[in-house]
Amino acid sequence: MKRLLVVTFAFALAVGVITAATTAATGGKAESAGRRAEAAKPKLPALPAEVRNRKRWIIGVKCDVPPFGYINVKGENAGFDVEIAHWFARYAFGKANRVAFVCAPTPAREPLLTTGRADLVISTFTYTRDRDTRIDFSRAYYKATGRLLVKNNSSISSISDLAGKTIATTSGSIYDRWVRKCFTNATLSVFDNLTNARLAFDQGRADTLMWDDAGLVPLAAADRNSKLTNDTFLALPYGIGIKQGNVAMKRWVDSRLALMKKRDTFMQILRNNVPKRFVAGFSKNILRPKNNFAYAPAGAPAAETVCP
Amino acid sequence: MPLLFLPDWVEPVARYMFKVGLPATLKVSAIALTTSTLIGVTLGTLLTIHFFPSRALIRTYIEVWRGLPIIVTLFLVYFAAPQISPTLEFGPLTAGTITLTLWGSAQIAEATRGAVQSIPREQHEAASALGFGWTGRHLYVILPQALRRLIPPLVSLLVGIILNTTLIQVIGGAELLETAERSVERLASPTPPEFTPGDIKAFEIYGGVMVMFFLITFPLTRLAAYLERRLV
Amino acid sequence: MTLALTYDLWGFLSENWEALLRGLGRTIEVSAIAVIGSFLIGLVLGAARAHRVPVVSQLATIYVEVIRNTPILVQIFFLYFGLGQFESTRFDVFTVAWLSITIWGGAFNTENFRAGFEAVPYRFREAGLALGFSRLATFFNVTLPIGGRIALPSSINTYIAVVKNTALLYVIAYEELTTTAFQIQALTLETLEAFTLIGIVYLILVWSLSAGIRVLESHLALPEAR
Repeated sequence: MKRLLVVTFAFALAVGVITAATTAATGGKAESAGRRAEAAKPKLPALPAEVRNRKRWIIGVKCDVPPFGYINVKGENAGFDVEIAHWFARYAFGKANRVAFVCAPTPAREPLLTTGRADLVISTFTYTRDRDTRIDFSRAYYKATGRLLVKNNSSISSISDLAGKTIATTSGSIYDRWVRKCFTNATLSVFDNLTNARLAFDQGRADTLMWDDAGLVPLAAADRNSKLTNDTFLALPYGIGIKQGNVAMKRWVDSRLALMKKRDTFMQILRNNVPKRFVAGFSKNILRPKNNFAYAPAGAPAAETVCP
Repeated sequence: MPLLFLPDWVEPVARYMFKVGLPATLKVSAIALTTSTLIGVTLGTLLTIHFFPSRALIRTYIEVWRGLPIIVTLFLVYFAAPQISPTLEFGPLTAGTITLTLWGSAQIAEATRGAVQSIPREQHEAASALGFGWTGRHLYVILPQALRRLIPPLVSLLVGIILNTTLIQVIGGAELLETAERSVERLASPTPPEFTPGDIKAFEIYGGVMVMFFLITFPLTRLAAYLERRLV
Repeated sequence: MTLALTYDLWGFLSENWEALLRGLGRTIEVSAIAVIGSFLIGLVLGAARAHRVPVVSQLATIYVEVIRNTPILVQIFFLYFGLGQFESTRFDVFTVAWLSITIWGGAFNTENFRAGFEAVPYRFREAGLALGFSRLATFFNVTLPIGGRIALPSSINTYIAVVKNTALLYVIAYEELTTTAFQIQALTLETLEAFTLIGIVYLILVWSLSAGIRVLESHLALPEAR
């Protein structure tokens, strides 16, 4: 009896070990095959040391701007920007979960980088030349424009109707500066996160919500009482915020973004985060193999200083 | 949580608040209270020494951190301090803890001063007659009596600290109020890509947060009142 | 970016003084309304609680305990966004601004006045009644003057707290001093200048109020306290 038990146990153990070894081997083989294939191409820039040593990314994302960065019902970070962060974790460490998220509402994005509290900020972060003087940006990865969200019965049909109206937006954003500069006869109501700005608009405390199309389209789609005006203004390409002077980081990020563009990864991310009926529209705004866009050339005036 | 009378959007919100928000609030409060007490009692006792420079310094510390609105102190610690020196960068929760410690220690210092000065002179004289030096006198005779009188204000201060942790929300820290606020926005169909920003439930959520804080602090306020009667 | 090279308080002030002054004006406006409001609420409800007026004192107790045990920030959000969900209770920013601070101050002041009135020795009130004053007249001629003075120090602390709490109106975008300064520094990134400046302004405001009221207190103090 005892011998039978010993034999069975040894057999089970052997089976277990062999299975484990096989899966590891095949997994490893696939990985090393991949690595060999990678190595055959010119080597991609190496991961900056501080991230490598920490074995995790710390990335700032939006926590209240669906579909780019928000908290889902399970309490986890989710969204387009968040998924880019997970891809970076995969590229850096092979595991998508090697990233810690920090909520980065608009006014906190730059301080997170300048004080080193986050490695990167992927937070609907529009490139502006002014911001470029304090932090660095990766290449553009999303082409947003500004839109106006108004109630269905609103008298506002374009930005030329803003005189005497109240505009809600987030503090420190492009719109904040642009309205202060160009629409001095409108009242600005700034809140430090999009949720409160949206609440203010919903409750009629502001006549319109001015923000990126990416954030406003889902709101308009879900709310039957509001709609977007037809005009678009301010070309606002998003970039990934990087601490100023961190050349190694910028090289790494740009190279991986180029890789994702080539493999059309952004399309996959888009499909994961945006309802089907919006995918076609948004697909024109993301990096794709044939879709190129970049920041405004250095000589052009900064977008938020140009009044319509 | 099978609370049958609550609509089903409550569950994920409550779970997020209790898992992430509440521990953060309690942690910040506990640390702020402990450090405020340590710093405050020390400063308050030192304040009773008749030495002008130290009294002036401590008095300035107290009047500044009590005089500033806590939110301004918070902005100074979180946004402005990094501009003085890159080493002074803090996360939102840390900045909140530091702010509450500055405020709390100023309150405690003032209360300690009052408590120590309310101990009759005879105690000091008796202790000196028994051979105690200044430190011994304060450590073994004065402070034990003064600390008894400090307990009701300490409990009140704890209530104040807990309520003021909500200010961390303003700088994006994930404490109880902020986790509730984030939930105001995102209540709806759980699985992307069919994402729909949900209806706003601001009234229920802010009301709920008020109830939660009430449940935490009301017993403490009652305790402070009870201790006030018993100990003083 | 070392401090010495870029800290330019005077420059910041001279560039933005109009906006900041407007902000300060609004701070003072809301503070004034809230102080007066808290005084009246505290007086009336404190008296009701001290004299155990039925119904009113129970309701007042609920009001006081709820306000004192919930964060003022949440009260502001509740009044602005929470009640704002319904058309009938959708108040504008200014109303929510002074209302929220007044409600908060009134609760604390109710406790102050209640303690003050209850501290009036019973023999004084007895004397008043013996002299033929009605209960209401006794209150106005005996309890109120004496109890009010006893309550003065704690009321003063509440009024100063009211002034400081106007800074929280930042969260509903009411353009008082803190909001204005925050918005300026969000655009120009002169963070340190902005916040140290308003820090100084608040300290001046609070300290001078404190000092001024202590002078008032010494004039109004009861004979035995002098």
